[in-house]
Amino acid sequence: MTNNITNEQKAKALAIISNTNDSKLETHLNACVRCGLCASSCMYYLTMKEGKYIPARKVDLVSSIYRRYKTWQGAMFPSLFHARELNQETCDEMVDSLFGACTMCGRCVKHCSIGVDIPFLVKKGREMLAVMGLVPKTLQATVDAAVNTGNNMGIPTEEFVDTIQWMEEELQDELEDEKSGIFLDQPDKNVFYTLNPREPKFFPLSISAMAKIFYAAGEEWTLSSKYYDVTNYGYFNGNNEEATQIARNLYDEIHRLHGKRLVLGECGHGSRAMRWEGPNYLKTQYDFDTLTVVELIGEYIRNGRIKLDKTLNSKVVTIHDPCNLVRNGGLLNEIRFVVNAAAANVVEMTPYGTDNFCCGGGGGALAMSEYNERRLKIGKIKADQITATKAEIVVTPCHNCVDQLTQINHTYKLGITIKTVAELVADALVIES
Amino acid sequence: MATLEIQGKTFEVDGDGFLTDPSIWNEDVAKLFAEADGITELNDKHWAIIKIIRDNFEEKGNAPMVRTICKETGLKLKDIYELFPLGPARGACRVAGLPKPDGCV
Repeated sequence: MTNNITNEQKAKALAIISNTNDSKLETHLNACVRCGLCASSCMYYLTMKEGKYIPARKVDLVSSIYRRYKTWQGAMFPSLFHARELNQETCDEMVDSLFGACTMCGRCVKHCSIGVDIPFLVKKGREMLAVMGLVPKTLQATVDAAVNTGNNMGIPTEEFVDTIQWMEEELQDELEDEKSGIFLDQPDKNVFYTLNPREPKFFPLSISAMAKIFYAAGEEWTLSSKYYDVTNYGYFNGNNEEATQIARNLYDEIHRLHGKRLVLGECGHGSRAMRWEGPNYLKTQYDFDTLTVVELIGEYIRNGRIKLDKTLNSKVVTIHDPCNLVRNGGLLNEIRFVVNAAAANVVEMTPYGTDNFCCGGGGGALAMSEYNERRLKIGKIKADQITATKAEIVVTPCHNCVDQLTQINHTYKLGITIKTVAELVADALVIES
Repeated sequence: MATLEIQGKTFEVDGDGFLTDPSIWNEDVAKLFAEADGITELNDKHWAIIKIIRDNFEEKGNAPMVRTICKETGLKLKDIYELFPLGPARGACRVAGLPKPDGCV
């Protein structure tokens, strides 16, 4: 194999694992005891049954480079200490394993005997690949669109506005109230709401569902016509500068419009990137409230601001827990509170909650055509979980999961309906005139 | 580069099964791709959607908003989701021979 990795690329990549002030990085790079317990927690390994898919092996790709360049034992006796050169072959394996065979779902962390933060190290590996310019093209295209246009699908503002106005007209017809609306660029509102661009582009009914809930709650809210994108694929491609810029778009826009509460639309990684990572990217504390739309709906229910009739959703419903909102976001109980208030017949998958399996489309996988076949293969685990519940509706507060579940539904002929939480809640709304 | 074989014909596609070279698309390709998705016959409504998507792509280089598809064809959103069960992107745009749109689709 020819080595196309330049010394400059190598130096940049090694700098990422050379920060001796980062105690978490140092600890986790040195922590794996190779017990193997993580193997059976990983969808890729469970499906493909090949050693390279074991989470510990993915971690080892990163830590073996660390040993080669940052420990004297690894530098002197590389084969003895399983230390690897950072060369073309290693990079090819890293791209294939860290981008192409990990959704960063974190299920392995729950099953790790000593609690190694495996997705954290996978992310470090991705950062190394990003500085070397080795991010898969399709994933980078999604980040580029967000950086260059303000949203990850490159939707021009006038087309966005046209769609919102169309949805607003339909909403006003349905509610028979001209005061209802989908508000754009309004300053000083209590709620600054955000969307996944796939909503305006292809699936706008979830926008009107949420508008209906805001209407019922008597909320003062707005969308921005320019910066409404809740996603941040910079969290996945490993380019922290791009992730920072994308987070800054929302941060600056909520300030420009003097919004009080940043409400993150139904998006797992976007919520995580903006809520937990954002202050680190931007090196600042937020001076506004940040919460997910699931928590906001929960608040409306508790405060009696909306009334729901759960018998309006009488079909069997199961919940798909998005990894970035449940295992890594703390929404386990809140999702259940909201879904059980909106549906009469809710059953759980096995396993569920913090031990739930990823949909298979996380970690940027949905955007990476290169690994489509693997994504659908591992999705079989989710398909079987859903089938076992006998549910007719799968509800999930993440548009990325919705898209993967739609493909799984089609591929494995599940015959289910997939809804966002807002759509389920809107169907149960009792609006008193 | 992946290939997709449908009824003895081979197409160069990306990993998601979208045509690599949108310019080789024609109506026969659309029929074959649709059939691979379980749509056995493309009716007038399917063709109307496909035409809007192609026209938009040729004019602007990307997929139209679903708003444009509804406005130009007079179809309801519900109809579009029923006609193409995989949705406007993975369903209709793929049959229309477009590259896969970026983002969560």
